[in-house]
Amino acid sequence: MVRRLVRAALIVLAAAAPARAQETTEPPEVMRAYDMENAGRYREAALLFRTALGRSGGSGALLGLERAYAELQTSDSLLPVLDSLIASRPREPLYRSVQLRTLQILRRDDQLRAAFDRWTRELPRDPTPYREYARILIAMGQPVRADSIVQLSRRTLGNARDLEFETAQLRAAQGQWTASAGAWRNALADAPYLASAASYALAPTPAATRDSVRQLLHSTATLGARRALAELELAWGRPQDAWEALRDVAPDSATAAAWADFGERALTEERFPLARAALGAALRVHRTPELALRAATAALRSGAPAEVLTLLPLNDAGGEPDRLVRDYLPLHVAALSALGRAPEAEALVTKYDRVLAPGQHARLSRELANAYVRAGDLVRARAALGTGPDADSSDAAGWLALYEGRLADARLLLRNAREPGPELAFALGIVSRTRGEDGAALGAAFLALARGDTATAAARFTEAADRHVEAAPALLLAAARLRAARGDDAGAVTLWTRIVGTAPDAPEAAEAELEWARTLRRRGDRAGAIAHLEHLILSAPQSALLPQARRELDLVRAAVPTP
Amino acid sequence: MIPSIARQARLVVLVVLALLLAAAHPLGAQRLLVPMDDAQTDHLKAYGLTYNAMRSGIVAEWLLNYRGGSFLLPDAPEIRRQAALAGISVEPLNDATLSAVRREMAGGNMESVPLEKAPRIAVYTPPDAQPWDDAVTLALKYAGIDFTPVYDEQVERGDLSKYDWLHLHHEDFTGQFNKFHLGYRDAPWFRDMVASNAAMAKKLGYPSVPGLKKDVAERIRAFVERGGFLFAMCGATETLELAIAGHDVDIAGEFADGSPVEPDADTRMNWSRALAFRDVHIERSPFVNSMSDIDGHQVNVPGRRQPLGTFTLFNFSAKFDPVPSMLVQDHRSVLNDFYGVTTSFTKATLKPADVVLATEEGAPWVKYIHGDYGKGTWTYLGGHDPEDPQHAIGNPPTDLSLHKGSPGYRLILNNVLFPAAKKKPLKT
Repeated sequence: MVRRLVRAALIVLAAAAPARAQETTEPPEVMRAYDMENAGRYREAALLFRTALGRSGGSGALLGLERAYAELQTSDSLLPVLDSLIASRPREPLYRSVQLRTLQILRRDDQLRAAFDRWTRELPRDPTPYREYARILIAMGQPVRADSIVQLSRRTLGNARDLEFETAQLRAAQGQWTASAGAWRNALADAPYLASAASYALAPTPAATRDSVRQLLHSTATLGARRALAELELAWGRPQDAWEALRDVAPDSATAAAWADFGERALTEERFPLARAALGAALRVHRTPELALRAATAALRSGAPAEVLTLLPLNDAGGEPDRLVRDYLPLHVAALSALGRAPEAEALVTKYDRVLAPGQHARLSRELANAYVRAGDLVRARAALGTGPDADSSDAAGWLALYEGRLADARLLLRNAREPGPELAFALGIVSRTRGEDGAALGAAFLALARGDTATAAARFTEAADRHVEAAPALLLAAARLRAARGDDAGAVTLWTRIVGTAPDAPEAAEAELEWARTLRRRGDRAGAIAHLEHLILSAPQSALLPQARRELDLVRAAVPTP
Repeated sequence: MIPSIARQARLVVLVVLALLLAAAHPLGAQRLLVPMDDAQTDHLKAYGLTYNAMRSGIVAEWLLNYRGGSFLLPDAPEIRRQAALAGISVEPLNDATLSAVRREMAGGNMESVPLEKAPRIAVYTPPDAQPWDDAVTLALKYAGIDFTPVYDEQVERGDLSKYDWLHLHHEDFTGQFNKFHLGYRDAPWFRDMVASNAAMAKKLGYPSVPGLKKDVAERIRAFVERGGFLFAMCGATETLELAIAGHDVDIAGEFADGSPVEPDADTRMNWSRALAFRDVHIERSPFVNSMSDIDGHQVNVPGRRQPLGTFTLFNFSAKFDPVPSMLVQDHRSVLNDFYGVTTSFTKATLKPADVVLATEEGAPWVKYIHGDYGKGTWTYLGGHDPEDPQHAIGNPPTDLSLHKGSPGYRLILNNVLFPAAKKKPLKT
């Protein structure tokens, strides 16, 4: 609990740090003292900070002296200095705050309380002493005493809003999640930069109470509260709800920045539809070329290639041919390719061909070939590769060989492919298991897959398994994966049954059984899932999937908590 | 926890299995060594394998101090199967290698202890508690050891006589709800806990929760006196003792029973009735989150809280002190400490006959203690969760599949198996 509070405090401090960094330039002694401090020469640093403090009483010097004395374990030396500073400027809150912190470090609880009492006596209408002392008590793991200070501030100042942040932290520390969420909502109205601190504090809310927290944070459309809610939903594994929390905030530049941040994170985490929605929304408020590029990328990856053409029109690149060729053109060609508009993609490549570098040309040619593959035109796909080296040695040439069923060429070319990825690994895993030259059935399966026709691909892979018995388990497993992905559990189970029954020693048998067990578990057939997991573990003791199978067996048996 | 039909079916399977094993493996056949040193891939499930073998009628052996306190089981297909499923390392031994092992053990501080009868396990826990609230139920679930949850109603009904082994965790037997009202008085879970306990006290005819809990504590004391095995952790250790010694004294604050702690409570406590402690000073203030000076760490009292260190397990003579030896079997002898409502036990409050199983070098407290009481035994381990040293309310549960070789959790599971070595029948 204490660590959680300290971490939350660090988050708050981190949020406040940029503001501090923008303060005015420090005197030369302080700058020299920073150098000494960075070099670990704390005695010299302390001397310089002390000198600077005597001259100006500046905050940089005082904070530096506080750090240096702490490193030297002589924090008590700061107390007389602070007494003088406070006597000279009693209204300066920094001096008082450092005094409280120092007394806390020295564990002088009685003096700490006395310093707080003096502060409130001398500045009776100021909420700062209550806030500072409450924070210290929270950091010390004394929520009850901190609570009494919060209550005291309410009675004395008559204002509940001054210590909302501290109240929010306190209530979270006490497990009063709903009260904490309410206080966070109020605190975030004035300090939206605390959104991360709020989500961190509220993340441990038990599942049964989360809806109340959601309701409270959703009840206001201020950016701070909604950002906190969005971060919470992400932490609780509900990314779609995270976006829902953010999407109806009133659009302005700060909101657009929040949407862009959310979209960028979603893009990194490969949640492409969410990235598309968030980046598109940000772009509508605040258009920049960089944002347009990211929004178009998200649109393409989320299966909305048509949006690329509108989000990122080629004429937006204006007079920057480098940017056009580097960023815009590949996205447009890929989008047209995905749309099956191969001739338009080809026209685009032809139009800019003269300004393309050789590497760019090769990449776009391959993209073009893919476009024709998707359109089902293997002849023009081959033509798109031209007569240069790409025609018979590129990755695209390897894929074409595979689609055309020329297995020997496909094996050779794909083995030397330069653009690795899961699709290549999958194809290599299949073709390396096959024997012979003729792979027409297999090529048809991969071609259907490249066209995005998974139903046909599944059927073709199953047919290919009869032709290539040596690779049958891998081909059947590929077909089963496609069927399962389409929600055709019955079709997948038929294929898994065939794999486990006909090729129990093949590595695919273990994977088939694991997927089968997962499907049964999803359906609530606990006994069935256990039977398959046990069979997998006992029949494939050397399988790399064994740790995963044991883990899932523990989960089905409720031997470990569900994550 | 398990429906009775399922239990009966399981029993039938286990009996059939035992007959098959007996038929298939006459004397002199191969054995399986379940190593418990670093060669073991899942120490915690190894306890479950051994326990369930015993439940099926098999006599196992615990090879104290041999390779981390290994187990010896018959080389039966079903045992191999269960080991493979759970990912437990086993090593087949033929007669010659087994003889070599026994010769090696005879020459060192090692001993073989037969494990004959799986104890019947009860865990004192509220009906709505998740298994993850308690390190012992976590360990039992992970190891695949069945247990029955019991709570006040079952204890008051006399159900403890049905069990050999009882575990207590963070229950406050003084009826003061661990003084959590100080920090959580408005928390929904706390309000629910207070309301359900008050309702139970009323239902069972007690004027207050402290009254009910004291009687439950008394029944637990009697369970041990009659030959039961008690294993307690966390706050249950301290509060059970306070409730037993304070049977005739008001030791609960006004917030719990409407009357303050008796001013001379310290002097009126009857420590001769207690299991482990004596001369304890009770914390009378309702505003200090501490029960007494039994706990050395005082984690919830700012200003008194002591930092966590490490504790060291004693190395007992396996041949002359087999019981404490069983309780400290481990593949590590120095373990990281972990907090709980009660983290440790101050030396000044221990009774002279207590056996200290683990202590922190140079500290005025010990971590792990054991003793006899009447015809039974008790064992106390301070702290809440060996793999979550700073455990706080609301923290996520520990996933033991990430701590398969946890030395701290092994101490818990040692306690589950050691009653199996006792041959005397339970007289309850």
